Amino acid sequence: MSRALRLFTPLLAVFVLLAVFVPNDLAAGGQGEAAAEGEEGSSIVIYNSYMSDPEPREFDAEVVEQFNEQNPDAEIVHSTVAHEDFKQAIRAYLTSSTPPDVMTWFAGNRARFFIDRGLIMDISDLWEEQGWNEDYPKGFQAMSTVDGNQYFLPTNYYWWAIYYNTEVFEEYDIEVPETWDELMDVAEELKSNGVTPFTVGTKYRWTAAAWFDYLNMRVNGPEFHIDLMLGKESYTDERVKTVFNDYWAPLIENDYFIEDPASYAWAEAIPFMNNGEAAMYLMGDFIRDSYPEEDVEKLDFFRFPIIDPDVPVGEDAPTDGYLMAADAQHAELGKELLAYFGSEEVQTKMAEDLGRLVTNNNVPDDVYNENQIKGRRLLDGADYVAQFYDRDTTPEMADAGMDGFMEFWSDPTPEKTDEVLQELEETRQRLFEEDEEE
Amino acid sequence: MNKAKLRTTLTPYLFLAVPVIIYMIWVIGPMFYSFYLSLTKWDGFSAPQFIGLANFRRLITDPVFYTSLWNNLEWIAVFMTIPIVMGLFIAMSLNRDIPGSKFFKACFFAPMVLSLVVSGLVWSWLYNPGSGLINTVLRQVGLGDLARGWLSEPEVVMEAVITVAVWRQVGYVMVLYLAGLQSIDRNLIDASHVDGANAVQRFFNVILPQLAPVTVVVIVISIIDSLRAFDLVSVMTRGGPFNSSSVLANYMYIQAFNNYRMGYGAAISVVLFMISAAFIVFYLTRIVREETNG
Repeated sequence: MSRALRLFTPLLAVFVLLAVFVPNDLAAGGQGEAAAEGEEGSSIVIYNSYMSDPEPREFDAEVVEQFNEQNPDAEIVHSTVAHEDFKQAIRAYLTSSTPPDVMTWFAGNRARFFIDRGLIMDISDLWEEQGWNEDYPKGFQAMSTVDGNQYFLPTNYYWWAIYYNTEVFEEYDIEVPETWDELMDVAEELKSNGVTPFTVGTKYRWTAAAWFDYLNMRVNGPEFHIDLMLGKESYTDERVKTVFNDYWAPLIENDYFIEDPASYAWAEAIPFMNNGEAAMYLMGDFIRDSYPEEDVEKLDFFRFPIIDPDVPVGEDAPTDGYLMAADAQHAELGKELLAYFGSEEVQTKMAEDLGRLVTNNNVPDDVYNENQIKGRRLLDGADYVAQFYDRDTTPEMADAGMDGFMEFWSDPTPEKTDEVLQELEETRQRLFEEDEEE
Repeated sequence: MNKAKLRTTLTPYLFLAVPVIIYMIWVIGPMFYSFYLSLTKWDGFSAPQFIGLANFRRLITDPVFYTSLWNNLEWIAVFMTIPIVMGLFIAMSLNRDIPGSKFFKACFFAPMVLSLVVSGLVWSWLYNPGSGLINTVLRQVGLGDLARGWLSEPEVVMEAVITVAVWRQVGYVMVLYLAGLQSIDRNLIDASHVDGANAVQRFFNVILPQLAPVTVVVIVISIIDSLRAFDLVSVMTRGGPFNSSSVLANYMYIQAFNNYRMGYGAAISVVLFMISAAFIVFYLTRIVREETNG
C-alpha cells in the first residue's frame, strides 16, 4: 500500500500541476479560436508585436486601444513578444495554419527573405486605396516593393551616428570632428587625458558590424558596400582589406576602444561613456531609450566623419514597419488595422511618443523635437541610405560576417585579417552560388 | 495457454502500449525525421530538397564543427576527472557524523537545484571584467595581472564556462556517491581494520571496488551531460566570441534556428546522436547484463 502510494504521489503532483497551469493556456488559445469562429472571422484580428521595451510597448497598446475605440465591434488579439524571441518565433508564426494577421517586422533583406518564399500578403491594393503611393517617399516605396507589388508598410526609421558625452568634450575643449583625421586627433587627445575614446559592447556582435558598415561606406562608398552585402563583390577584395588594415585595426591597436568589449551587451557598455571613462559610442538613436534619464541631455551626436570626400555619403538608417501573413485569416480587418498604423494620426503619435522619424509625408514637420530634426538633417545629407549589416545581407552571411569581425577584433593583424576574409569569401561563394542554383 | 494466463501475459503489454505509442510519436518519430532532414536542404518553409550527403560533406570541412566537437570532448574530459574526484572526496569526507555535515551536504548540492539558466546568468556577473566579483577580488589581492575578460577571450572562455558546469556537477556526483557509500558492506571495512590495512589501502582496495557500480553510473551521466551541454553556453556566450566556446548542441541550434539551415542543423544533431548513442548502448548493455546476471 505504502509503496503504491509512493508511486502515486508524484503522479498526483503532476496532475495537480497540469490542472493548475494547462487550462490557462488552453483557455487562452481556445478563447481566440472560439471568438474567431463565433464571429465568422469578420471582426477579429490577431496582431503580434515585438515592441517589448517599456516606451514602445506603451505606445503600441495605446494605438491598439484607439483602433478599438474607432471599431467597437472589432476584437484585437494583441500579443507582445520580446524582441529577440520574436525574431525566432516569426518563422513559426508565418508557417502555422492560423498565422497572426498583422506583425511588426524589419525592412530590407529580413522582409525579403519571407516575401520571396510567398509567406507575406500582397498589400498593393491597400497602398493604392490609402494613397500611400503619393504620401510615402520613393525610397520607402521601393523598399516595400517586390516585382511591382507592395508587401511591407514602413512606418519609422532612425539614424546611426557617433554619440558622445558633451561634458567630456567640454572638459577637454574638444570640437566635434568632421573628418577622419580630426576624429583621430580627438581620440588621441582623449587618450592622453586618460579617457578611452570609444565604448562598445560587442557581446552580441552587431555593434561591431556597425563599425564595418560605416568604415566600408566611408572608404569605398555605399555602392560597393551594398554590392558586397548582396554577394556581388568579394570579401577578399583589396578595398575590403584596406578597411580592416588601414582604418579598423589601428583603432583597436591604439586602444581607442574600451577593454574586453566582447564581455558587454550593447547597453552594458553605456555606463563607461556616461561616467566619463569613455567618450563616444557608434550607435543608433535608440541609445537614448537606454541612457540614464538624468544624463540624457549630456548626450549628443555627430555624423560618422568623412574619410574620402570624393566618395558619396552612405548612412545606416534601419526602417521598421508592419506586414501581413499570406495566409492571414482575417485579412479584411487586418488591412484596416494596417491602414490605421500607416495613417497620419498614428505616425504623428509615433514621432511624438517614441522620438523616431516617420515615413508618412503628411506628418507635419513641427512634431519633431530638436534631436529628431538634427537626425533627419543627417539623413537628408546622405547620398544613400543602407539598412544595417544584418538587414542588408542574408541571415547566414550576417552570422558568419559578424563572427569574422569578432575574430579580427581579437587579433587585428594583417595575417589574421587575410585569414578571416578568406573564410568569409568562402562562405559568400557557397551561399550566393547556392542561391543562384535555386 | 489458458485464458487467465493469456491475460497475465497480455496485460503488461497493454499497459506498455500507451507510453510506447506516445514515445514513438514524440521521440522515435522525430528522431528518424531528423535523419531524413539531415539529407536535405531546408529553410523551414519551402519543401525540403533532397541533397544526399552534401550536408555531411560540408560538415567535415567546417572549422566551427571541429571547434564545437573539440569543446564537447574537452567538456567530457573535464567532467570525467574533476567533478568525479572532487565529488567522491567530498562524499567520503561528509559520510560520517561530523558536526555540520548535513549543512555542508546541502551547500554542495545547492547549485544543482538552480536552473542552468540562472547559474549561467549569475556566473556571467561574477565574470564581468570590470565590476565582476572575480576580477575585483584578484585586483584587491594584488593579482590584477590575472584579471581578464573571462567570457570574451577565446583562450579562456571554454574553461570559464566549464568551470560553472563543474561547480554544479560536483554536488550531483557527491550525492550519487553518498548513496553508494550507504550500501558498502561494513564487515569488509571492519575486516580490513583487523588485517591492518591503512586508510589509503582501505580506500583503494575495499571501498572503491564496492563503489564500482556507482562509478559506472557517474561516468555515463557525466558523458551524457557533457554531450548535451547547451544551456550554459547559450546563456553565457552564445558560443562566442566567434564560436570559440561553441558546442555541438549550440552550433546545431544556431544553424537551424538562427541561420534557417534546418538540414545542416539536422546533420549536426545526427553526429551528436551517433556519439551519444555509442555511450548509451554501452551503458544499456552493461545494465542489461547486470540485471540478467544478478
